[in-house]
Amino acid sequence: MLAAADATLAVRARDGDVHAYEVIARRHGPLMRVYAARLLGSELESDDVVQDAFLTAWRRLADLDDPSRVRNWLMRIVSNKAVDRLRVRRDHDDVDRLEVSAPRHETPERVVEARLQLDAMWAALDKLPLDQRRCWLLRETADYSYADIAEALDLPVSTVRGKIARARTFLITEMEAWR
Amino acid sequence: MSTDDHLSLDPPEPDDTVDGVSVDRLSDYLDAGRTPRDATIEGSAACRLYLQSLARVRELSRASLEHEAARRPDRDGAWIDGLLDSIRREVVRGREIPISHPDAGVRLSVTEAAARGLVRRAGDAQPGVVLGSTSFEGDLSTAGADVAVRVTAAARYGLDLGAVADELRARITEALTRHTGLTVTRVDVLVDDVFVAGEDDR
Repeated sequence: MLAAADATLAVRARDGDVHAYEVIARRHGPLMRVYAARLLGSELESDDVVQDAFLTAWRRLADLDDPSRVRNWLMRIVSNKAVDRLRVRRDHDDVDRLEVSAPRHETPERVVEARLQLDAMWAALDKLPLDQRRCWLLRETADYSYADIAEALDLPVSTVRGKIARARTFLITEMEAWR
Repeated sequence: MSTDDHLSLDPPEPDDTVDGVSVDRLSDYLDAGRTPRDATIEGSAACRLYLQSLARVRELSRASLEHEAARRPDRDGAWIDGLLDSIRREVVRGREIPISHPDAGVRLSVTEAAARGLVRRAGDAQPGVVLGSTSFEGDLSTAGADVAVRVTAAARYGLDLGAVADELRARITEALTRHTGLTVTRVDVLVDDVFVAGEDDR
């Protein structure tokens, strides 16, 4: 069952098969956590957000229209949860200022170009200002529309467009060397 | 008080055009899947190059997250355990299915959720099959009542699907009859996915 397709696992989970859902969580959880951490700028909160998102998703499995797209669907729920978290923060304090760069996990045997490229991209995302990174990830990873992002982050749509434009230019420039 | 800079206006992007086409327009064009075809854009080598870079950066963005995730699976255990604990507490048991017993003083039942679990196990036990969804039709609340079962399944590529369905019907009927006392009148099997040998971990 570890190798079963997402769609199969998702319909079983919808039937109440906890084990099938566990396989989904183990398969996609790591990506969701990395994503949430990038979005929030904090690894401390990302575990909470992801756990909460997976619990919400379990309760709402009946709403999942296309089980083969369970990953995108989860991504969306994680995004919403992370955005909720940001809203709470916005109302309270300046936690955003506290962002510490995620520790880099350097390994010596980086030989494959493809991996180097992915590492370079990761580093480039890391260098983006947090607000630009958020807009970019919501747009490109979670398929949010400009309007969705504007609403989620409480920004005018024009500002969101501007931030995404700048992120785009920055990332393309950063990755120029890797063409 | 707020750190978000929605009060400060972003300066317009300086000279962000490629061959006279704004990069915003190029980005929207890529979003639309490069359709309908825009002759101005497609006619410019510089624009095409920009589209290529942009598509690449998008792809790499996603891939780099996956790459990073794959690199650190070690931190996973705790939150999944917590998640599963929460979920098990709220699993919906469904209808109670009474089981007749010769001794009138004994009342037995299984839940619908447990019956589904039986069906899944029966299906998974069949080589080359991974069961999908399970549903019951009929009056489950009466002991020994007629019930129709509907399942979906994934089958290993190359198997005779007719034979797969027949065996699955037999296994499911046997399991339900033996453990729930329901009278299985029909098992509808829909094979809705095929997987390649080797992907099957059993």
